[in-house]
Amino acid sequence: MITFAKWKLAIFGIYLVIGAVFAVVFLAIGIARVDPAAKGSPIGFRLLIFPGVVALWPYLLSRWIGGEHAPRTERNSHRDGSGGADQ
Amino acid sequence: MSLTYGAIGWNRQKKIYDLVLACGIVLYLSLFIGLGAWLNPGATVETLLIRGFGTCALLLLHIVLIIGPLCRIDARFLPLLYNRRHLGVTTFIMGLAHAGLAIFQFHALGDLNPFVSLLVSNTRFFSLPDFPFQQLGFGALVILFLMASTSHDFWLANLSAPVWKRLHMSVYAAYALLIAHVTLGVLQAETNPLLAAALGAGLASVISLHLVSGSREVRADSHSSLSSFDGAGEFVDVCSVDEIAEKRARIVTLAGERVAVFKYDGKISVLSNVCQHQNGPLGEGRIVDGCVTCPWHGFQYLPDSGASPPPFIERVPTFRVKVDGGRVLVNPRPLPPGTRVEPARIDANASG
Repeated sequence: MITFAKWKLAIFGIYLVIGAVFAVVFLAIGIARVDPAAKGSPIGFRLLIFPGVVALWPYLLSRWIGGEHAPRTERNSHRDGSGGADQ
Repeated sequence: MSLTYGAIGWNRQKKIYDLVLACGIVLYLSLFIGLGAWLNPGATVETLLIRGFGTCALLLLHIVLIIGPLCRIDARFLPLLYNRRHLGVTTFIMGLAHAGLAIFQFHALGDLNPFVSLLVSNTRFFSLPDFPFQQLGFGALVILFLMASTSHDFWLANLSAPVWKRLHMSVYAAYALLIAHVTLGVLQAETNPLLAAALGAGLASVISLHLVSGSREVRADSHSSLSSFDGAGEFVDVCSVDEIAEKRARIVTLAGERVAVFKYDGKISVLSNVCQHQNGPLGEGRIVDGCVTCPWHGFQYLPDSGASPPPFIERVPTFRVKVDGGRVLVNPRPLPPGTRVEPARIDANASG
């Protein structure tokens, strides 16, 4: 039981360490490529989102690699009914 | 609303909000610890702090959960909604302080790693009296962490609104875990019926307010869903001009969603009721400085085009509108977000 718990914690710890390393690189280089609005953003903002980047690093890595730049707008029946495109 | 991200967008209202929140927490903890030490002289400072932070987090979570339905029932509660994210982050910080102290006091003084100890010290999952309630609280804390760490608008934009909302709806799972955590933990060890009564009252208020506000929304939608077309079959009669207060809106349902019919400066314009930021109800806001202003977070749109004033880029769909005989007629086909529509003039059409 103790060994299993140690393994679980070790895997969790490795995930967080990779996330922390990724977060440093992402917040320095990648963030502006994923979201242009983050270009030139202050250090306070980057520190504020650091814990989230550590926790959700696989998602952000996939977006960074995928080159998706423009955040998507939420759909609803009015946006769909209007053709969905912005004027 | 901004073009680039900042750390925390404090303004005067948010500073007041956060100051009241901080003072409230200090007052609550002082009273809890002071009264606790007086009523129970045997309690250690650590125990009082653990319980103080824990009950504070639970109380804040109740407030977080009831703000939404309260605002649906009575618009006077909207100022509470304005900065709810800070309330949520504070809830997580209180929970973290509670968990950190509890892990230190109960799991950090032995030979095992405290987190290993947390996982293995009690595995009686099939025993109600001895259930390892700590793990329920830990689960709730993980959810609150994910919510707090993704509360910035960066995450709303980059996770996409539907994903972000689903993530933040997990607050109800965190609440259920916390109710179970408290019920199986503290209440088993306490004989004071006041604690059980307080927890029951909190749960009842959360459930009843959600039911009341939800049923009101369903009723309002069913009453405002319109299908009465004019002679040409292009426009729907939605209301009388006189039913709309100046610089305010009337909300009706058209094309499967709510629209906001605004009256201002002798004109009528119609927008989708759904704010691009967090789906706030634009029609419950008012026109400030010539812009429709969302009551939730202050995002603004020009009433004739549904576009945020430059340099902002948010846009909502608009609708063609005309006034005939004092009645407001709206074409139910939504136009692409940001499309300018000539407002209907009230003066020229009011008579009749």
